Amino acid sequence: MRRRGTKLCFSLLLAITGMLFFAAPASAAGASIGSCIVEKLEHIAEEGHHDDGHDDHGVEHLFHSLHAKDGATEEEKKKVKKNEDKLESCLEAPSPIIPELSEVIWGGGAFLILFVVMVKKGFPAVKAAMDARSEKIRDDLDAAEKAKTDAQSVHADYEARLADAKNEASRLIDEARGAADQVRADLVAKAEADISEMKSRAANEIEASRQQAIADLRAEVAGIALGAAEKVVQGSLDDDAQRRLVDQYIDEVAGS
Amino acid sequence: MADNAIAGYADALYAVAAADNALSTVEDELFRFSQALNSDENLQTTLDDSSLPVERRQQIVEDLLGGSASLTTKALVSMIVASGRSSRFSSIVDAFIERSAASRNKTVATVRSAIELDDTQKDRLVAALNGATNKDVEIKVVIDPSVIGGLVTEIGDDIIDGSVRRRLNQLRENFR
Repeated sequence: MRRRGTKLCFSLLLAITGMLFFAAPASAAGASIGSCIVEKLEHIAEEGHHDDGHDDHGVEHLFHSLHAKDGATEEEKKKVKKNEDKLESCLEAPSPIIPELSEVIWGGGAFLILFVVMVKKGFPAVKAAMDARSEKIRDDLDAAEKAKTDAQSVHADYEARLADAKNEASRLIDEARGAADQVRADLVAKAEADISEMKSRAANEIEASRQQAIADLRAEVAGIALGAAEKVVQGSLDDDAQRRLVDQYIDEVAGS
Repeated sequence: MADNAIAGYADALYAVAAADNALSTVEDELFRFSQALNSDENLQTTLDDSSLPVERRQQIVEDLLGGSASLTTKALVSMIVASGRSSRFSSIVDAFIERSAASRNKTVATVRSAIELDDTQKDRLVAALNGATNKDVEIKVVIDPSVIGGLVTEIGDDIIDGSVRRRLNQLRENFR
């Protein structure tokens, strides 16, 4: 990765150097206005020499070619005008759209060189960087997808466990409710049995107490009555009665 | 006291009374003294009190019997008290009476009555008991006011109860 970045930086530096190198001759083309004027002037001088056949000095002739004399013919005025246009053409600015041919040549060559360099060096590095980036993104996507899958799995597992926990809790609640109902039923049954037993025991105790009271009362009454009867009997048993009882006893023994 | 001891004492009493030729007298006197002793708890306790000197207890017996008993009877009672058997005096006397009656081929019947029986009643009762038991019965009458009326006869282990007390007890049971 570091090597690929170094190559990319080297390619950019080489492209910038090439542009500076080839731009200098192109800019030099704009400084030839003087030579253009000289060239035009030599051309105007030659034309005037051929056309007139005068044996004037060149400078004088050039002056005549560029300045119409008073009373000059129309043809001479047109010629002067034509020469002035030629010189002015050297002063005209280059076209803002169409470059100079030399610039086109130098620029095209530099572009070609730069293009070749970029194709040979820069593009593979950029492509490698892009591939690496793509690979990294793909790995990241895969990792994200895997993490998402894992998260979904964990989520599903969590949901399943939550459902199991809910089911277990529901089962435990049902069991607890059933046990509580059973305990309550048992307690109610036991309480009812205890109450019934207590009632029965109380009734038995009451009945026993009643019977005991009746027996005690009867014994008391009997004791009182027998005590009274005994006194009555003892009082009524005089000597004759005693003897009759003895005789009666003897008769019973004898008759047995 | 074991039955053998009671029988031994009874035999001794019988031997002494027979030697003095006073069986009948000794029987009656011992029987009366036995009944008196049974009816008096204080006398029983006093005669059975080992903390009292034997001479003191014998003196009490002498004072009680006084001139109403023969010398043989007093000597025998004094002998039993001195031997420390006064708590079983009644049993010893009963065994002696049975032993004495047996020597005459008779069976002793103890009759408890609220009143004293005259001789006619005694003879009739003896005849009735002879017929009822097919034995030659000899009776010993005990005056017992708790009988109230009628008689209670004990012959060995048999009891013939014709007392008013029994009828009153039956009536009491019927009330329960």
